[in-house]
Amino acid sequence: MAAANELITADAIEATEFMDLSRKYRVTGVPKTIVNETIEIMGGLPEKTFVRAALDLPE
Amino acid sequence: MGLLSAQDEATLKEHLSVITMPVQLVLFTQAFGGSESGDVAKQILNEIASLNDKVTVVEKSFVLDTEDKAKYKIDKAPAIVILSDGIDTRMRMYGAPTGYEFVGLVEAIIVAGTGKIDLDPETMKWIQAVDKPTHIQVFSTPT
Repeated sequence: MAAANELITADAIEATEFMDLSRKYRVTGVPKTIVNETIEIMGGLPEKTFVRAALDLPE
Repeated sequence: MGLLSAQDEATLKEHLSVITMPVQLVLFTQAFGGSESGDVAKQILNEIASLNDKVTVVEKSFVLDTEDKAKYKIDKAPAIVILSDGIDTRMRMYGAPTGYEFVGLVEAIIVAGTGKIDLDPETMKWIQAVDKPTHIQVFSTPT
């Protein structure tokens, strides 16, 4: 997504290495995706479902 | 001794053969007070780079290279910044890219090295319509 739009940045974070962040975002299972500090997506999802959730688009 | 088996190296080399543009992997590590994962990250990146002439590793100090740290907005290490022909792709990896995360790194390198994004056209439209800064953080583990 980051490569497709200059306004998007994407971080892949190793959860066990950065425990403070994992605690901050209550990462109890992976993958877990946080978007703009507010949207939380648990697990791996199909492409459209994930992008719709990440961008907070209506169904 | 490398981290990749000979067979894995051959497979990876084939995957990377589609790259047409230079890819720079800018690695920020902390020599003193940092974790061992910085050394692991360095080894992995160097092994990848050894398999394709277009992939290079640029090492930076998380402590000393403050200008680059600010330029790429790096706040933790080890960190990998992926550049496509010198241009920031805005893709970052934090921690050593082992296990499943290695796959993500290779995919990111291929995107940076080809400029091709393998997404559904409708999904691409949604992404390209984003008009505000959007920060995505994906937490994962190697296994």
